[in-house]
Amino acid sequence: MADAVIPRSRAYARAERRRRLGPLSVLTHVTLVVWTILVAVPIVWTFLASVKSEDEIFGDAWSLPASLRFDNWARAWEQAHVGQYMINSIVVVAGGTFGTMLFGSMAAYVLARYRFRGNRAVYLLFVSGLAFPVYLALTPLFFVVQNMGAIPVIGPFIGLNTHGGLILVYIAYSLPFTVFFLAAFFRTLPGAVAEAAFVDGASHTRVFFRIMLPMAKPGIISVTIFNVLGQWNQYQLPLVLLTSDKEKWVLTQGIADISTAAGYDADWSALFAALSMAILPMLIVYTLFQSQIQKGLTAGALK
Amino acid sequence: MNYGRMRFVTGFLAIPVALYVIYVIAPYAQAFYIAFTDWRGVNANPRLVGLENFQRLFDDNVFWKAVGHNLILLILMPLLTIGIALFFAFLLNAGGRGGTGGVWGSKFYRVVFFFPQVLAVAVVAVLFQQVFRPDRSGMLNAPLIALGFEPVGFLSDTDIALWAILGVLVWQAVGFYVVLFSAGISSIPRDMFEAAAIDGAGGVQLFLRVTLPLLWDTIQVGWVYLGIAALDVFAIVWVMTAEHGGPDHSTTVMAAEIYRNAFQYFKFGYASAMGVVLFFFTIGFAALALRLSRRERIEF
Amino acid sequence: MTHLSRRELLRSAALAGLALPVLSACASPAGGGGASPAAPAAGATSAANPLGLAESKPLEVWIFDGGFGDSYATGIHEPLVKAKFPKLEIKHNATKEIAKTLQPRFAGGNPPEFVNNSGANAMDFGALVQDGQLADLTPLYDAPSWDDPGVKVRDTIDPTAIELGSYDGKPYVLNYANTVWGVWYSQKLFEAEGWQPPKTWAEFLQLCETIKKSGKTAPFTYAGKHPFYIYEAILTLAAKIGGKDVLKNIDNLEDGAWQAEPVKQAATAFAELGAKYLLQGTAGLDHVQTQTAHNKGQVAMLPCGSWLENEQKDSTPADFGYAMFALPDFGSSDALPYGTLHVQPGEEYIVPARSANPQAGLEYMRAMLSKEGAGKFMELVSTLTVVKGAGEGRTLKPGLQSASTALDAAGDNAVWFLFRKWYAEMHDEVAAASGQLMNGKLTVDQWIERAQKKAGSIKSDSSVKKFKR
Repeated sequence: MADAVIPRSRAYARAERRRRLGPLSVLTHVTLVVWTILVAVPIVWTFLASVKSEDEIFGDAWSLPASLRFDNWARAWEQAHVGQYMINSIVVVAGGTFGTMLFGSMAAYVLARYRFRGNRAVYLLFVSGLAFPVYLALTPLFFVVQNMGAIPVIGPFIGLNTHGGLILVYIAYSLPFTVFFLAAFFRTLPGAVAEAAFVDGASHTRVFFRIMLPMAKPGIISVTIFNVLGQWNQYQLPLVLLTSDKEKWVLTQGIADISTAAGYDADWSALFAALSMAILPMLIVYTLFQSQIQKGLTAGALK
Repeated sequence: MNYGRMRFVTGFLAIPVALYVIYVIAPYAQAFYIAFTDWRGVNANPRLVGLENFQRLFDDNVFWKAVGHNLILLILMPLLTIGIALFFAFLLNAGGRGGTGGVWGSKFYRVVFFFPQVLAVAVVAVLFQQVFRPDRSGMLNAPLIALGFEPVGFLSDTDIALWAILGVLVWQAVGFYVVLFSAGISSIPRDMFEAAAIDGAGGVQLFLRVTLPLLWDTIQVGWVYLGIAALDVFAIVWVMTAEHGGPDHSTTVMAAEIYRNAFQYFKFGYASAMGVVLFFFTIGFAALALRLSRRERIEF
Repeated sequence: MTHLSRRELLRSAALAGLALPVLSACASPAGGGGASPAAPAAGATSAANPLGLAESKPLEVWIFDGGFGDSYATGIHEPLVKAKFPKLEIKHNATKEIAKTLQPRFAGGNPPEFVNNSGANAMDFGALVQDGQLADLTPLYDAPSWDDPGVKVRDTIDPTAIELGSYDGKPYVLNYANTVWGVWYSQKLFEAEGWQPPKTWAEFLQLCETIKKSGKTAPFTYAGKHPFYIYEAILTLAAKIGGKDVLKNIDNLEDGAWQAEPVKQAATAFAELGAKYLLQGTAGLDHVQTQTAHNKGQVAMLPCGSWLENEQKDSTPADFGYAMFALPDFGSSDALPYGTLHVQPGEEYIVPARSANPQAGLEYMRAMLSKEGAGKFMELVSTLTVVKGAGEGRTLKPGLQSASTALDAAGDNAVWFLFRKWYAEMHDEVAAASGQLMNGKLTVDQWIERAQKKAGSIKSDSSVKKFKR
């Protein structure tokens, strides 16, 4: 009896609310659609422009291309090396993010959960990095990386114009943010499981990798996402550290180069083709992994 | 135990601290030193000039203009982004049938809204140059001109350009926070909404009485992220605007002024002095961020 | 002394284990700072090798990959050098980001042998000269020319080029291409409409009015996103009204240089042009966009340098017929006659003094200044050069022909200004203010005040080296 009453009242409440939300619901859809258009149109427009001729690009913005000129794409791919840049970006961001998360979580964990002399100082040292304007360090940084290249044996892998060198720099410059947020995250984790493991004789290292790191997975995922996005978008550092060797350039350098080139050679259609090539894989990858990314953010946001 | 503990702490900190000191602290330490010299970038022996660079900074209208723009962005960008994102997150999650379910197609919207976030800033800047073009090849001006209006100089009118920049920044950021806040809202127990709804709360009241208070922590986190982003604005301004921060310095930001003085005028000493000022300016914000996220410390 | 303290900073910062290589290498940028050991140590000279370059050491060439591209280097100049010195290894590079790519190498003491320091992202010449980074080109100019051992290089080129490449009397920069500025139009359009290039400012305004009334095209535009294109014209007109000293005083940062009456008159004239006759949206368009609009007949005239025709070669209709005219007479009391031109040797090339093989860089310049090197360059990239008679016997496009004719007609009535190269920040400020002057957001007096104020602040900035002409 009582069982039947509650659902009915719930259903009633729901219907009541739906009634009240009715007009709001129409408005809701309108605003959502408007923002969708705002987001999608510039991107779709870029794809359209990538198959337009030069003349059409400089004509009316909303005209459709007379014919689909995929030779723009071929030109961008061949002359602008977009494929190569993309692979380079993937290599650097993969290495950079992995290193950032490994070293960042190690440092954050120790700083968050161990009391020792200098803890606060080291923590502040890391966190103060959030306030450093990176532009200030560019020239001295160039010399540091150049000098690293002079170290015997490993030098050739971490000096100027190497992806290794850029990865190390990415890691170092991602640490403030990573340590800041992961330390906050580690502090919120319950200590009971870890203490049980210590009683069982587990080492500190084992406790970290086997217990605390898996427990921190949600936070790790969300910070990873930030780092991937941040490093993928990085433009200044590669500009200074990967100057001469065009084959090693990352995607942002390539895009900016084509954009600058458009100022001289006026090959705008190739620019838009290259832009499309830069956009498309990111959209695909994101769409494929969006549910994981959203879950990661969900967990991260709530801690 | 204690010995092993110390070894563990040292072992875990060694590599991150080493990387950080070599690649971040050392260059910045040098930069602070450079701020007291007249180094012009190409010579190896800068001359110490004391506080001269800082004195000159006081009379530099353009720099203070940049500071003002950064302040505007620091206040408005988080405000607008969070406001819009909260609104959408609420609609997507609580606005639909069943109160907690979100509207039809909410998954689709969440995916699409996030798109701008995955685009490289350089790409976004080039993209919006086309959106804002002042002739009929511009996405926004084409319909205006077709309707017989004067085209708007989104990036060429000194009174409008900064707002155009702000628009692009918000455009790119909103999707991320929609997802972030959606996550927060979806974790709010259904019962809370139902209870409030049974009490007669409408959509607006649901938002104000349930969503907002329970999401407050997440919003604060978002504020920190956005604040840092607002102080870091560079590529959008540099790539998108005329005169790199123009026209007539109307969109310039501190990072752009540092970059300009260093890599275009080769006044590394002066640029470093700007950086030092920016440093003390932003350290204030970082301290605020720290305070916001301070948690209880748990010790083993 | 100073690098010692930088070293100490690093020492305090770097971890013990990794500090050593950092420190030892840190000393290297300073190492090149004292003397420039390579520069005077020229090898044995001979008739075939008058500058005494060492074939054993490579020649690293960096070309600015801008409007001229870099095929003139790989296709013309490098083969010339290679033919004479087959054993010399030439390492060719091209970039659009000269400063970002090479500035750290200058600071590091290992710059390349030859740099085409041009474009929007070029290194600051003032800073380079100030630090003794550039090789003195006097040995090159005194060397026998490529084509005739009896004639010095100095005597085969436009003396203005040497003057403009000199800092405090010493030649450091080779300006290779010659550029003239003027107002460009389509001969086809002008003939079809019966419009005539104006001789006086009144005629010019009349022409603008006629074009505006015709409703077929806008009268005038300039690259609004790069207001240099318009302040160039303002200053040229000012010099035409008041004489060469007007620009000389501006370059020398003289007090009151910008407040001079001719400057004010010229600015007022262009502000009026800006208020009445500009293509819609000019302020937001860049050079490519305005020039494309010009090609498409959306605007009749724009001010530009003689590189325009080449830059636009891909988007210009075949029968467009580029031509230019010099700024018209402003009034009857102009100090300089009709036909006065802004002439400026440009496209700068330098030989870094601290490179490993600077003589090879100088030899490369000598090859560029040969009749063959300059003539083929002229044909390939469609621009004038500073080499006398390089265009003889070569066929020129209509725009280049028009510029060449105007240059001959101008003779000694050539004017130029140098602060753009000497003080990049002065250039930026004048450009920013000029854009607003044309938009009507600044009055002429405000424009003058801002330019003069900037000149004053540079003058009082001890870290910036001052130049005189």
